[in-house]
Amino acid sequence: MNAIASLRDTLTRNMRQSGILVAFVAIVALFAALHPAFLSPTNLTNIVLQYSYILILAIGMVMIIVAGQIDLSVGSVVALTGAVSAVVVVRNGMPWWAGVLAALLVGLMVGIWQGFWVAYVGIPGFIVTLAGMLLFRGLTFLVLDNASLSPFGGTYYDIANGFLNGLLGGYGYDVFTLVIFGIAVVGFAVSQWRTRQGKIAYQQSVESMPLFVLKLVLVAAVVMWFGYQLASSRGLPVVLIILSVLIIAYTLVTQKSVFGRHVYAVGGNRHAAELSGVAVKKINFWIFVNMGVLASVAGIVYSSRMNGAQPGAGNMFELDAIAACFIGGASTTGGVGRVGGAMIGGLIMAVMSNGMQLMGVPQSMQQVVKGLVLLLAVAFDIWNKKRAAAAR
Amino acid sequence: MRPPAPHRTPLLALHEVSKYFGAVEALVGVDLEVHSHEVVALVGDNGAGKSTLAQIVAGVLSPDAGQIEIAGKPVTISSPSAANELGVASVFQDLAVCENLDVTANVFLGREQRNRFGLMHDGAMEVETRRLLERLTVRIPSVRTTLRQLSAGQRQAVAIARTLIGDPRIVVLDEPTAALSVAQTGEVLTHIQRLRDLGLGVILISHNLNDVRAVADRIEVLRHGRNNGSFRATASHESILAAITGAA
Repeated sequence: MNAIASLRDTLTRNMRQSGILVAFVAIVALFAALHPAFLSPTNLTNIVLQYSYILILAIGMVMIIVAGQIDLSVGSVVALTGAVSAVVVVRNGMPWWAGVLAALLVGLMVGIWQGFWVAYVGIPGFIVTLAGMLLFRGLTFLVLDNASLSPFGGTYYDIANGFLNGLLGGYGYDVFTLVIFGIAVVGFAVSQWRTRQGKIAYQQSVESMPLFVLKLVLVAAVVMWFGYQLASSRGLPVVLIILSVLIIAYTLVTQKSVFGRHVYAVGGNRHAAELSGVAVKKINFWIFVNMGVLASVAGIVYSSRMNGAQPGAGNMFELDAIAACFIGGASTTGGVGRVGGAMIGGLIMAVMSNGMQLMGVPQSMQQVVKGLVLLLAVAFDIWNKKRAAAAR
Repeated sequence: MRPPAPHRTPLLALHEVSKYFGAVEALVGVDLEVHSHEVVALVGDNGAGKSTLAQIVAGVLSPDAGQIEIAGKPVTISSPSAANELGVASVFQDLAVCENLDVTANVFLGREQRNRFGLMHDGAMEVETRRLLERLTVRIPSVRTTLRQLSAGQRQAVAIARTLIGDPRIVVLDEPTAALSVAQTGEVLTHIQRLRDLGLGVILISHNLNDVRAVADRIEVLRHGRNNGSFRATASHESILAAITGAA
């Protein structure tokens, strides 16, 4: 098979996944062409900082959506956990880590609460989390006495606003950042190589060697370029490290662990999963516990970035997180979706918001565009499915 | 066809099993025996109690009265996983597979193998899946194909293959050929014969007498939740039909 036929084969086989990647690249290219500052080091750093908490939420959300549920409460949970943390750190003057622990604990309890109602009482996640959205928003107002609390300052502030910089010295760019990105690229290449070898060992079809190398080089170039941009701005954002660790961990959990496999099974066919010995209730319980904890992580990052807690924080975050999942290829009927896809979906939203802000597009127009993108993404998904069904 | 020798201990024996849903008598004092290397067909009209009986054997329902013996020992089958541990595997109509997962994932669902890191051992599971499919002479393009991309017959074959994980002794198939085309039905019947050749006892539930007569060694008729005749596969179509409808 020559390289072009192989490329076409790869593209059509993974149309949904590659389609979303192509769309992402196209959107980035469009804004880069429209606005010279879009790809500047400062702005790229900004995109990472501004949307990190949506991406963290989307990691948990994609697992919930794959299991055939939905979580509407994460915005309120972000507010509540940030508020609790602010009460601990700002009002009571305790150290930053006490605030972090308190927020994580509240997130855990929220998750247990919602997981209990969904899994063991059997109320649909939509209803439980709709109630949660009101409940936790109300609790946020109670905790904060209807007023904002700020500032955190210090180490807590650095969680979302800090950079690792100058650890290995700088020459106009941060060497440490480049080293970390270099390690990431090598790690990616090794894992891709191992996957490819594995496929060959089991006589699976793989893309041709030149195409494989081209793919690696392309990814490496983009990643290193991005790293260089960060390095020549302010260094490696702490948030990016948190986010990367979460993405890698949850990709493993969803694709390689038995728990992850069972989440997909429950979303694909609940009864079959149950009859096969999958503990459906346990799965439903733990995905909500997991979402609660991730929402508290997002709450910590958001309150840190805002350097305070507001009663109205995190409003509509759930919709951004859900949109990220669906744009990233999750199926509305459950059973389909990936962490990686949701991340690209979230980045598409991030890049569009950021780009339109740079260009001075009014807020109203931004909403219209984002709404249309979500609609088109899901329409493309459905069209793609019909096409696949017809081809069978 | 090899009729069971009467003196052998059956793999599975049901004695006087009854099941009531409120006032409805789903099963009343039903007896059933299945030996290894034997396909026993359970036939009957709609509502005759075939599926209830299958679900009792599979551990989905528990009987209100009667005794179940496996290899001569009395057992209680309290859940599908308890049934698995006792060596009973089942394929339920329409509910058997997850269409969003690939062939390997479906075959091993609920019984995934783990490597030393606690993660799934994909390689080993794929090798085992290939081996099972070969034993059943199932032809599927790749074990990494998602079930959504397979034909209904191929999906049923995957469902049958997954029963072989954990070396069961008894396989219960509830209407495996319903909703299949003629060619696909033929293939599934071949897989059932392969199960018998592998030494398993098979309970085949069907209301298609042609399918049943093609593969079964013995045909047990249920009517209104009661035993209503036992036939060799060579028995005439009319006599079996008479027992099913109660015309005799």
